[in-house]
Amino acid sequence: MTLKFVGTRLLRGLVTLWFAVTVTFFLVRLLPGDPVVTVADPNMTAELRAKLLADFGLDRPLLVQYGSYLAQLVQGNLGMSFRQSLPVTTVLMERLPWTLILTLSAMAVTVVVGIPLGVLAATRARGWVDRVIQVGGITAQSLFVPSIGVFLLYVFGVLLGWFPIGGALDPDATGVAASLSMLHHLVLPCLSLVFIQLGGYVLTMRSTLIETMGEDYVALARAKGVPPGAVVWKHAVRNALLPTTTIAGLQLGALVGGAVLTETIYAYPGIGRAIFEAVGQMDFPVLQGAFVLLAAAVVVANLVTDVAYGLLDPRVRTS
Amino acid sequence: MTAVAATNETKKQTREPTPRRRTWEGFRRNPLGVGSVAVLVLMALVALCAPLIAPFPEGYGTDISLPPSAAHWFGTDDVGQDVFAQVIWGTRVSITVGAAASALAILIGLLLGVVAAYFRRLDTPLGVLIDLSLSLPVLPLMILVAALAGPSVTTLVMVIALFSWPEVARVVRSQALAIVPLPYVSAARMLGASAGRIIRSHLLPGVMPVVGVSVVLTVSRAVLAEAGLSFLGLGDPGSWSWGGILHKAQLSGSLASAWWTTLFPSLAILLLVVAATLVSVAYNDARNHRGER
Repeated sequence: MTLKFVGTRLLRGLVTLWFAVTVTFFLVRLLPGDPVVTVADPNMTAELRAKLLADFGLDRPLLVQYGSYLAQLVQGNLGMSFRQSLPVTTVLMERLPWTLILTLSAMAVTVVVGIPLGVLAATRARGWVDRVIQVGGITAQSLFVPSIGVFLLYVFGVLLGWFPIGGALDPDATGVAASLSMLHHLVLPCLSLVFIQLGGYVLTMRSTLIETMGEDYVALARAKGVPPGAVVWKHAVRNALLPTTTIAGLQLGALVGGAVLTETIYAYPGIGRAIFEAVGQMDFPVLQGAFVLLAAAVVVANLVTDVAYGLLDPRVRTS
Repeated sequence: MTAVAATNETKKQTREPTPRRRTWEGFRRNPLGVGSVAVLVLMALVALCAPLIAPFPEGYGTDISLPPSAAHWFGTDDVGQDVFAQVIWGTRVSITVGAAASALAILIGLLLGVVAAYFRRLDTPLGVLIDLSLSLPVLPLMILVAALAGPSVTTLVMVIALFSWPEVARVVRSQALAIVPLPYVSAARMLGASAGRIIRSHLLPGVMPVVGVSVVLTVSRAVLAEAGLSFLGLGDPGSWSWGGILHKAQLSGSLASAWWTTLFPSLAILLLVVAATLVSVAYNDARNHRGER
């Protein structure tokens, strides 16, 4: 039963990934911005041009190119960067840890702050605290990531000077100092991401908990004389938490998009900053590889939350 | 903002005006909803009348990086252009791209959503396509395509529409799936109505209410997407947009020195998206007859 459930989810993840790879491959080849034109300089000689195209495998039929792209991809080869004469995998793998640090820390902070805020709003439903949290949540969801990023950077980085305004690490620091410097650089970009994520978690937690508080077992716990705090936290919140975990999966796309924009603002050396730089240099293999890598990350994260949800809640597995 | 919590649907069942009228009555009584509509209309007017409000910002000025003053309400940037004029002209591109992209996305999403719900055979493949598209990180994909197609207003519209329709299709499909098994649809089918006719006269009107909400949300999402792409340098190089102003500030470094170059375009984006969200919340409340507290 459990094995079958995990198997189906795994298969779905693989199909999603194949879809992502295929869509990008054909988009890149069929769009007007022809990679041939990009690689080949109009001023270069015909032989040089032909050699260059052959080097990048751009002279073969489309389906052959697709087949070899898939074969290479399975081996972890995302092609060569047009501009840096390095394999795309090398370029991106160097950046991936930073993006993971940024997104995972943002997610953790969001959960730690968002769940209690949602509980607070739900237990004071329709009161002024609830109103403030709701309006705040909706506003936070409407924020444009670079706007909040610039705002935090200006106030806490430039005006107050509490945090560095760019980079991820002080190059001179070593040992404990290096870890501290890393955390110091992480605060502002992480907070920017927390702001845009928070609304979804708070509003979902709020509405699920209000629903849960109306369930019979909550009324029973109350009738038994369980203290109000324990009713909320031990009985209701535990059950309301489960649907809230799905919001983590739903917001992954937004989180990744937010990370791209945040890293650009703070010159944070992750995948997002690599994308921004690749846009400036028209380095399509890097852009394509970055998307494939981020899609893979989202698929894996979705798989993990799906399976965890299924293991925690038997109802999901059987349906 | 009206609270969404309690279900007091029984409240207003005595008088029975048409549902549309009732929704409008509920909406009109919500000050936040009406105010937000006013804000959106005002922004549309600004977009339309941009040439009357401020000259197109171009070239080099003499007042470089000045904070807001009576002469330059929003200050000037590092080449001496008026930020107020940039924001006004930016409204035009941001709203045009947002409106055009979402119109296209809604058209595609509406068609595919209804078709998926009505034709059983197409439902599985279309449903899988929608699910797959929704589970991918959209911004990196938009970046790739926009970079390949070359930056222009048309590119932005097409790219944003291309990756925004699945959201609309998902909502429309689930609503239409609830309508297809209803007796009047079966009756129409039995009377020999063609699929096209049933879709046109039964399914489309049935899904319109959810499309109404999704119009506002899709526009605001499209505006955010446009701002994101322009911020990364994929905007139309010949025109101003809110994201484009932020991009220029990022490149020139005014980001960290001149707060006015980023604050005002940011506020414009925030204002539009918050207003759009509040309109959809107020519309939803009014439609569920929870307009009054």
